[in-house]
Amino acid sequence: MIHDLKTRKLSPELIVRIVVGVILSIYLGWRIYLSIFGDQAYGPDTWLRFLITGLVIGGIYALIAIGYTLVYGILFMINFAHGEVMMLGAFVGFFVLEAFAALPTPTEGNPELTFLNAYPVIALILVFIAGAAISALMGYALEKIAYRPLRNAPRLIPLISAIGASIFLQNAAQLLFGPQRRQYLNPDLLARGSGWMIQVGEKSVMLTYTGVFSFVLSILLMVGLFFLVKKTRLGKSMRAVAENKHAAALMGIDVNAVISKTFIISGLLAGSAGVMWGIHNGLFNHYVGFLPGIKAFTAAVLGGIGNIPGAMMGGMLLGLFESLGPALLGIDFQLKDVIAFTVLILVLVFRPSGLLGEALSEEKV
Amino acid sequence: MMKTSLKSATRTGMIFGLVFIFLTLIGFIVVGANMFGGLFVKSAENQNSVRVDAVNLLVFISLFGLLSGVVFQKRQPDAKWMHVVLGGLFTGLVIGLIAGGAVFLIGILHVKGIDLRNYLPNLGPDTIKFALFHSTPLSAAQTYLIFFIIFSLAGALLIKVISLGDGLKSVFDQVKARAAEQVDSQQLRDLMKNKFFLVGVGLLVAVLLYFLPLMWGSYWNYIMGTVAIYILLGLGLNIIVGYSGQLVLGYVAFFATGAYTFALLTAPYPHAIGLNPWLAALLSVVVSVLTGLLIGLPILNLRGDYLAIVTLGFGEIVRILVRSDLMTPFTNGPNGITNVGQPSWLGDVFSDVNYMHFLMLIVLLGLFVAKRLKDSRTGRAWIAIREDQTVAQATGVNTFQYKILALLIGAAFAGLSGALFASRNQFIGPEDFTLMVSINVLCIVIVGGMGSLPGVVAGAFVLKGLPELLRELSDYRLLAFGALLVVMMIVRPNGLLPDRTTWFSRPVPGKDQKNYDEVNQ
Amino acid sequence: MKEPVIQAVNVSKHFGGLTAINHVDLTIQEGSISSIIGPNGAGKTTLFNCVSGFYIPDDGEICFYGQMIMGLPTHKICKKGIARTYQNIRLFKEMTALENILVGQHPCLNSKWVESILHNRRFVNEEKQAVLHAQELLSFVGLPGLENTPALNLPYGAQRRLEIARALASRPTLLLLDEPTAGMNTQETAEMTAFIKNLRDSREITILLIEHDMRVVMDISDQVTVLDNGKKIAEGKPEDIQSDQRVIEAYLGPGYQKITN
Repeated sequence: MIHDLKTRKLSPELIVRIVVGVILSIYLGWRIYLSIFGDQAYGPDTWLRFLITGLVIGGIYALIAIGYTLVYGILFMINFAHGEVMMLGAFVGFFVLEAFAALPTPTEGNPELTFLNAYPVIALILVFIAGAAISALMGYALEKIAYRPLRNAPRLIPLISAIGASIFLQNAAQLLFGPQRRQYLNPDLLARGSGWMIQVGEKSVMLTYTGVFSFVLSILLMVGLFFLVKKTRLGKSMRAVAENKHAAALMGIDVNAVISKTFIISGLLAGSAGVMWGIHNGLFNHYVGFLPGIKAFTAAVLGGIGNIPGAMMGGMLLGLFESLGPALLGIDFQLKDVIAFTVLILVLVFRPSGLLGEALSEEKV
Repeated sequence: MMKTSLKSATRTGMIFGLVFIFLTLIGFIVVGANMFGGLFVKSAENQNSVRVDAVNLLVFISLFGLLSGVVFQKRQPDAKWMHVVLGGLFTGLVIGLIAGGAVFLIGILHVKGIDLRNYLPNLGPDTIKFALFHSTPLSAAQTYLIFFIIFSLAGALLIKVISLGDGLKSVFDQVKARAAEQVDSQQLRDLMKNKFFLVGVGLLVAVLLYFLPLMWGSYWNYIMGTVAIYILLGLGLNIIVGYSGQLVLGYVAFFATGAYTFALLTAPYPHAIGLNPWLAALLSVVVSVLTGLLIGLPILNLRGDYLAIVTLGFGEIVRILVRSDLMTPFTNGPNGITNVGQPSWLGDVFSDVNYMHFLMLIVLLGLFVAKRLKDSRTGRAWIAIREDQTVAQATGVNTFQYKILALLIGAAFAGLSGALFASRNQFIGPEDFTLMVSINVLCIVIVGGMGSLPGVVAGAFVLKGLPELLRELSDYRLLAFGALLVVMMIVRPNGLLPDRTTWFSRPVPGKDQKNYDEVNQ
Repeated sequence: MKEPVIQAVNVSKHFGGLTAINHVDLTIQEGSISSIIGPNGAGKTTLFNCVSGFYIPDDGEICFYGQMIMGLPTHKICKKGIARTYQNIRLFKEMTALENILVGQHPCLNSKWVESILHNRRFVNEEKQAVLHAQELLSFVGLPGLENTPALNLPYGAQRRLEIARALASRPTLLLLDEPTAGMNTQETAEMTAFIKNLRDSREITILLIEHDMRVVMDISDQVTVLDNGKKIAEGKPEDIQSDQRVIEAYLGPGYQKITN
């Protein structure tokens, strides 16, 4: 659409789009105004609460979104099963925490003490490593089994394979671990629902420990990834392969290895995201990867597919939209998921290359 | 060479071993063993159940081992006998150690009274005892080891032996050649064109279709009815995905609008409009087509995968909206709509059998329409768009127009199916229109063969009918579904009955096919 | 003097920071065979793509028989009478040879989707005529009897001819051929050259080609346009181009004399 504006073509289609866009913007603007300044408006404390939630969930979405964007940039396919990789991370984290909680390390003052609470920092580090590692392994296996044989097939085929893998993994998890929702056993140090209290006027808002923890860890991981891609040799290889596989191969880059490593890195991030989800949200089951997966993909598209900072930004933005959106627009919280889909549709209709622009090679259509 | 053999054996063994553990943990080992065991060994009514279980499990293990040997050998077809034997043995050894070891561990835990059902709910004591042959962990593990080794070797040897005789492929080729000698294909083609023959076959099929619903009872009637509706859905999506190549993942949105339109117009609650069902069905189609227009216009020019995700989004939006509090006054939300209107003909309400006949008629009509569309300027334009959209447009095809046309016709099919679905089931709710429905229909189209009409029918039967036949395995249905998709894409992406435009040549006035070399001597 | 088939004036096209063609003029007269030549990266394909509607020029005008065609969607350009082939052969691979040509006829046919279902008389007649015409074209390009062969099964030379047949199916007045002799040996090239000449003579079509094979260019062209680094450096009859110093330098570097065959 922007291109059309540039070439000054005024097709009826363009006019319709502009009109619809303007009407929508006015309507939304009015509703937002109402919700901030109207009688029924929420107080600043509630807004802060929404903001905090949005940032935390945004960080998690960003981590998963990076995985999508990395894979899309290199293989031009939507890794439909990426949400399930995150889900696996959540499960692994759960089991490791349970194991630590079952490991008695009694002391004088506390005969009931378990490893989990005796060495919470070490426990957490191990939990994350385990979750990320297993997810990375899963990502690697996924590529090797379901995607590599289809490397040269028309785009539809690997997509179907990805859908199949997603269904398989979801149901495998359900059959293995049961459909019931499980609850993460956090160490006392990082208990859910506890945190610092912030005073906002007369009310107070809680800044949860788990929330801060997740957010900080997300940022750290994103920074780490950014350095990996920009500064290391692997990062350069990844960008080269994404740009042009054949040329990269001619330069001596082992394309298959780079692709595998891309999936491994995506898996690491998604696994961490899964563990974070468990620690912060508590409840999860085999279905936990589905919606966040789609939303994270939306985030990746929002930022510009193939564009890593775009994915990070898209993730944070989507988290904020989702959290602040229903309140701002005065709609039901039930429809929270609709917001993600609507954002996706709006972005693809009005700015398909995303906010920060796509970063793809010309090896496209 | 030996080293690679061993590596391959180890890899195969590990994969199969892990798969076996997985199957055990999800409890499939019991169901699967009983199924396969039942196929091979007929057991008397009052036989010792422990014995029956053990035999079944042995059969299962044997087949599993055989398969592993087969897979192993297939990866190294030119190996020497020595390698085959050692490799087969080694594969079995690895599986035996892994699977046997796991079973041993589980057995020990069980004996110690540790119950893992908190974490692995399908690993109940019955399952564990079954896996242990109802005996001790050690003896069970030993049995596993022995049987895996033996049958893995057998599998590898089997493939080697077959490959000596030019392999299975040549067996098939020989059979085909022998059959071709018997049946002159030109004669066959002439027969196909013979009017009497066609009419005769048509009559036979018609009679069959008429009497089957009367005979197969209401359970099968319902199943076949579902298959019929999915064939219709498949036909519609086939036009969008199979002909014009647009990957739409939110097809259920049109299905839902069709069904809900019909239901809301004919049910007593919440709106009590009580419209004539036939009229309501027509309106369902119209509404679905309008939905298609609304959804399609803004997004039609999106890149393939984006189109997929966006349409998925639309599908989900429709479902969420329908069940939301916002729309409940209009759609009755999560409670769904009951007492949907029933069509009647000449005063009598449709019975189950009537419904089946009616559905068959509609399906035949749908097939007719789809076929006619394909063999026309419109169909060719669609397939050109699917093959290479840029070039198709440069060759004179208004791609936007044709893509939207495909979408709208597909939506119409879905709308009609929705009305039929709502009417036949007499009750619909938002959970009837989940993403899985879209994925099911997409898989019917792709697994059957993109663009192929017999493929759609086959796909519907396989993906909707077959699970009904295998009711005991219903827990594992989705698992198998997912695996099937991946496997099909790797092994046979063209589908079960691929679209072969040169299967029966279109009538070419006056000419017969000649060889290029002959022509250009 | 009749309106020229193509009148391109001051056409420029940029890709990011790269200027692919830079204020290029091109005039093609009716009934002529014109060639665009130049070293790799000169902008030949870009110019081609601008004329055929695949790219929208950033600057300048392109007129087809006096009508401006820049920015028109390619199907409209095809309807106006411009058809093309592709450097790396873009046939509809899964379709048969006949079907490829039938698609080529799409802008000349008229049946709507409803008629396809009803099989009314007009539809049936039109399809019959279309098939006959397609067979004619197939014979014309030397591939009779291959109607039902899937395009991807055809040998390379046959595929090139089929692509031309598909382009001819829309009854164009201007035919754009993108490196028609690429990958061909001497004999095949000679056949293709004769074929192109015959095409112009028997069907009264104007032809514009991109070519690298100088023998073909010099043999059949009425006009040769030379591009280098996005600019037109020479234009004229083949003999004149052969001895043009700038052309020689563009291909061979400074300091060489005549291009010898």
